[in-house]
Amino acid sequence: MTLNKEQYTAFEDIVGPEYISSDPAILFSYSWRSGLYAPPQDFSPLFEAIILPHTNEEIQAIVKLSNKFKLQFKASSTGWGPYNDATAPGCVKLDLRRMNRIIEINVKNMYAVVEPGVIGTQLQAECMKLGLNCNQNGAGTNCSASPIVGHCGFGHLSQSGSYGERNQLALEWITPEGELVCFGSLGSTGAWFCGDGPGPSLRGAVRGNVVPMGGLGVFTKAATKLYHWPGPTSVELEGVSPSYVPTSIDNHFLIRIYSFPDMEMMDQAQRKIGEAEIAYELMGFNKGMAASNIATSNEEMLKLHAEFSNLLTDFCLMVIIGGYSARDFEYKTKVLNQIAIDTQGKSLTKISDDPEVAAGCMWRWLRPTASIREVFRATGCFAGEVGGTDVFRLMADYIVETAKVKQKMINDKLIFDDGAPPFTQSIEHGHYGHGELLIRYIPNPSNWAGMMDFMAKANEIAIKQHFGVPGHVFSDMQHDIYGPHVMNYHKWLRKIKKSFDPNGASEGSHHITVKE
Amino acid sequence: MIVEKLSQLLGKENVEFKPDILESFSRDLSFVSPIRPAYVVKVKNLEEVQNLVKIANETQTPLIPVSSGAPHFRGDTVPGTGGAVIVDLSGMKRVIHISRKHRMAMFEPGVTFGELISAVAKEGLRLNIPLAPRRSKSVLGSLLEREPVVMPIYHWDISDPSGCFEITFGNGELFRTGAAAGSGTIEEQWAAGGSQKEAAGPSSASWYRLIQGAQGTMGIVTWGTARCEILPKLEEPYFIGSSNLENITNALHWLVRLRLANECLVLNNVDVAALLANNGTEFQKIKTSLTPWILFFNIAAYDYYPEERIKGQMEDMNGVAKKIGVQAVKTLGKIHANEFLKIIQQPSSEPYWKIRIQGACQDIFFLTIYEKLDELIKTMHEEADKIGFTTTNIGIYLQPIVQGVNCHCEFNLFYNPLNAAETDKVKQLNSIATRSLMEKGAFFSRPYGENTSLIMNRDAATVAALKKVKQITDPKHIMNPGKLCF
Amino acid sequence: MGLEEFRDDMTTCCRCSACKFVPLETLKGYDHVNICPSISRFDYRAFSGGGRLGIGVALLDKQLDYSSPKLREIIYNCQMCGACDVSCKYAMDMEVLEPMNAIRSEMVKHGNAPPALDKMITSLKNGGPMLLEGNAGQGEWASKLGVKDYTKQSVQVIYHAGCRTRHDKTRWAVAQQTVKLMQKANIDVGIAMDEPCCGGRAYQMGYQTEAADKARSNMESINKLGAKTLVTGCAECYFAFKVLYDKFGVKGDFEVLHTSEFFNRLVQQGKLKPTKKVNLTVTYHDPCHLGRQGEPYIHWKGQRVPGQLIIFDPPKEFRRGTKGVYEPPRELLQSIPGLKLVEMDRHKEFAWCCGSGGGVIETNPEYALWTATERINEAASTKAEAVVTGCPGCESLFETAIRKNNKNLKVYDIVEILAMATL
Repeated sequence: MTLNKEQYTAFEDIVGPEYISSDPAILFSYSWRSGLYAPPQDFSPLFEAIILPHTNEEIQAIVKLSNKFKLQFKASSTGWGPYNDATAPGCVKLDLRRMNRIIEINVKNMYAVVEPGVIGTQLQAECMKLGLNCNQNGAGTNCSASPIVGHCGFGHLSQSGSYGERNQLALEWITPEGELVCFGSLGSTGAWFCGDGPGPSLRGAVRGNVVPMGGLGVFTKAATKLYHWPGPTSVELEGVSPSYVPTSIDNHFLIRIYSFPDMEMMDQAQRKIGEAEIAYELMGFNKGMAASNIATSNEEMLKLHAEFSNLLTDFCLMVIIGGYSARDFEYKTKVLNQIAIDTQGKSLTKISDDPEVAAGCMWRWLRPTASIREVFRATGCFAGEVGGTDVFRLMADYIVETAKVKQKMINDKLIFDDGAPPFTQSIEHGHYGHGELLIRYIPNPSNWAGMMDFMAKANEIAIKQHFGVPGHVFSDMQHDIYGPHVMNYHKWLRKIKKSFDPNGASEGSHHITVKE
Repeated sequence: MIVEKLSQLLGKENVEFKPDILESFSRDLSFVSPIRPAYVVKVKNLEEVQNLVKIANETQTPLIPVSSGAPHFRGDTVPGTGGAVIVDLSGMKRVIHISRKHRMAMFEPGVTFGELISAVAKEGLRLNIPLAPRRSKSVLGSLLEREPVVMPIYHWDISDPSGCFEITFGNGELFRTGAAAGSGTIEEQWAAGGSQKEAAGPSSASWYRLIQGAQGTMGIVTWGTARCEILPKLEEPYFIGSSNLENITNALHWLVRLRLANECLVLNNVDVAALLANNGTEFQKIKTSLTPWILFFNIAAYDYYPEERIKGQMEDMNGVAKKIGVQAVKTLGKIHANEFLKIIQQPSSEPYWKIRIQGACQDIFFLTIYEKLDELIKTMHEEADKIGFTTTNIGIYLQPIVQGVNCHCEFNLFYNPLNAAETDKVKQLNSIATRSLMEKGAFFSRPYGENTSLIMNRDAATVAALKKVKQITDPKHIMNPGKLCF
Repeated sequence: MGLEEFRDDMTTCCRCSACKFVPLETLKGYDHVNICPSISRFDYRAFSGGGRLGIGVALLDKQLDYSSPKLREIIYNCQMCGACDVSCKYAMDMEVLEPMNAIRSEMVKHGNAPPALDKMITSLKNGGPMLLEGNAGQGEWASKLGVKDYTKQSVQVIYHAGCRTRHDKTRWAVAQQTVKLMQKANIDVGIAMDEPCCGGRAYQMGYQTEAADKARSNMESINKLGAKTLVTGCAECYFAFKVLYDKFGVKGDFEVLHTSEFFNRLVQQGKLKPTKKVNLTVTYHDPCHLGRQGEPYIHWKGQRVPGQLIIFDPPKEFRRGTKGVYEPPRELLQSIPGLKLVEMDRHKEFAWCCGSGGGVIETNPEYALWTATERINEAASTKAEAVVTGCPGCESLFETAIRKNNKNLKVYDIVEILAMATL
């Protein structure tokens, strides 16, 4: 199906001829498949048109027309993951890259308001000028800064900067039927500081641990919490890409990777560090991630991986301390050292003894920029991240369980052999955890079949061993697998979808549809 | 007859229709018009709640869940329509589970703050509690109402410290929110090492947010979990007194931003006096001995090198105070910070501090940001002046929440309920001040009582969306009808 | 290389958008996050590095047709500045610019290159310059300099002025000052009165055969001369002689230097002494073909190792823009008394393009000007009084942008600054 003249003209009337196209050359550039969960097929189904709206009014009009024409629409910001794609004919794309303003940064009340086209780096850089910081998607600061646009929002900074679901404040939502709803204080007063109320919080209807991934209207502006940034207002770098060395992160920062003898010790360290509230960042790291992050090429990564294999167990934590003062730094460092002793943590000397490597890693993980190196450079593709959100240890145990399945794939030579170790994110000073599994593969049919098999087994493990609902469950099929074991949440989710999107206009294949 | 069904389900002794009991639930200390419920039923467990909701759906009987004991203040438990059944959950008093490792507690609706505080303390944990809640206040009720809590650094999100809930929705279906949803039973989840603490989800909806702030209009919650913090090894509380609100909010901002203080809140001299005084004479004495604004905060330290941490935090705190031009002190007037700390770490002594002196109190509260406070307080005073309510008798409580992103601002209008003229004045002030404050940007995120429509009507799009949610959870509108926009 | 040879590179694109932005470690604020003029101006993903790679795959798979006007618009509204390539390779082991060059080459083969370029290519084939405008006489610029003609006399140093300088009178002063500075340093320099075009721009436009032919014929004649060094003040000529000719396998037996490198050496060696004060605050614009694309070509022939990891046999060292010419111009500017150098947000390997490259100035001057205006605004934000650079293409377009936007900035070639302090 292609748009007929009436449909195309109607959309064109809204945004002007420059900002709509249904030329195949444009459409194919949007259907090139993502490296995330990359299937063997090079292209996803083509959108009927790409539209580049600039205002809420334009989006509302497009959405209403989509409903009228019985078309579907899907909006996205930077458009990385496969959930930004069409899954069948009959869908128009709203590329929100022109909506890229930082609306407000409020220092005293520590929040910022952004449009979806603002990327994490931009907001972080502006915040740092003001002594503040914002949480970033672990995927990287190339993702949107909006707390409801990036998929989950867990990341390196979550230990001190939480994640999207909890950082979200007021929000502008264009419903699947084209109505504008302003959440919280925005709807009542025009201010952005609160996203809940009056009365029950609609935030609950539009996202959970994860977002609806284009399947429930369009989020055009969002406010996000900010946090104190104890570093410099801007970070000076020496060197040329890909090897930058920051020179101006002051001496109130410290980075370590600790290796622990077993899961129990790592778990203890995670909890003690959390309870002591000393870490700016705390992540369960592994040798594969460390090698990929530090190395500037795959060749170098292989060498580092071999080197780290002799030094690191599968149970490692990456810690960054950011002292709020010289005194605070001294105290936190002392506590960290004691916790490392108490939990038999051994520091990786490549980090602790080489200031250039340490500074480089620190900045790459404070402004998460190396995730692409970590997950995509090896093969161009990444999948199998499976992890959910619960307490740290449960998530770590889940990922260890699924890592056994991953190991089988490694043995079968279906994926890159990076040693299979898991990684886990500590959140809010250790209160919560999010786990993921790094699987890198070349997307050919046999590897893809292996991936699908892995996903099925990971789902089975999650359900049978009570590890919760992973964050990366999308599609009716997966919801239907989990729902019956999880309070039939899929039925409730469908009810929300149906109530707000009776025509199914907001393309929900990666969220949920209203199928009976 | 519904009474027969109720008696059959719950036992006759748990179905109350004595006039004095019904009368007691027909009104509260708010200005909501009294409506007498048809019955008051006491439930003991989930099964009874589920069956009750089923009966209510069959008979189109309104249900009003009530967890806390009297006195009630906000009108949310007063029936909005005739023929309603009050579902008294205060007898469900089990503390189901406490995990030191995962810093959480699971408990039933009847568990009060006093009970839970001591239970979790035995495990080395503490709750993030509202300011001196009344003794009879249900912890779960407080969580469901998104009440502000006194430790802003542990209040990451406005929903905190809520975790998961078990709820029977108005349509009779059982649901567990967040991590508690599963897979598996709660016991199976514990065996796997899970904890029902992560509130969001499952998947791409966060049902707990739709339940909170709903005033019982979505369903009946039969247990909930709260995120706990570990008990400090050492604590060092301080006051900063000032007549300059900007200095006070600057200090608040930095104490929270730099995570220097656990408990951290601002009261005016009226509210401090109300909290501490046992009688009117004491009240006046304390009030006049204090600066207009009192910032109270508590520096705390945990397991590792607590003395060192306290000392360091004090150094940094003094640095902040110096920069702002204020001074932290251990005593203010005759009040010692350590004594004050004890008071706010527990429920209020009886009688409840808000009614101890005058017998009644009407709260006007909303959320705002620091920059707006001055104007909003001025607006409140102007409206009080207009109506002839003495502004120097208005209690003011400022609580940074969401780690300083929001500020809960609460005006406490203490009055004598036996004085009709005074009561009428407060009633009028409650109404006109709410309107004026809204016009100046105050956000009434938790609308109660007679001002609810005024507040909800400002945001028609949200109301329309909420009605869709309500239609999902409670299609027959049996849950607390007449409240909010339902 | 044909497009098919880049299939693996193109299918390695994970769609992360890095190609749209400066390397993200470097960003210091909201502004100047963008690195790619093309998507910045045209917004659709097709106009990004990654978007073009996806299109490349679609072309290989015959899902798209080379004859499409929209395809031509997408493929040719790009300065081929290589910024996407640098930003991608911060993290990835894959080629971006090379496949884009291959797509252009296919466009030419399929007869769908912009007609405006044909005239220039015809001129090139006939031994003329690659210019649509400008017809100043060959060698006339040097008539009063008393400089050798290297085609007639042996010299140590060849000064290659480049078409854009020779045929534009407004640029002659730079060439003349270059020669004068060399003469002052007693350099045995020669020019060609009938200087050949380097042909480099033909490559960027997709005319790879024509560019290679030109490279071979040029090197055939230059190699015979026995000069030790070829110096040019044009970044695109520099790229052609140093990088492209090497890629074509016709690297000469002489050193190729940009004027900034050559004169910096002379200053460092004490052979030129900039003593006169130049009281200016300037910012330096890195020309794409001197900076990120100016790094030496790395020959590699091999194949991907089969398996689940992108590695090569023999190991492949990627050109990531790391070794471009960044420091010599800066050192040279810092040697000028009184001059203050301030950096733009986007500099060195992640400098924003001037807008003129890749045939854009000829095919879409409005877009070229838009790109230059962006850069001029960025330069103005540094509070500099002047933009200094090392390429006549950049200089000419910057001057136009400044004029059209009523800015007070001045534009200098780096040689002009040195001349102020030295001559």
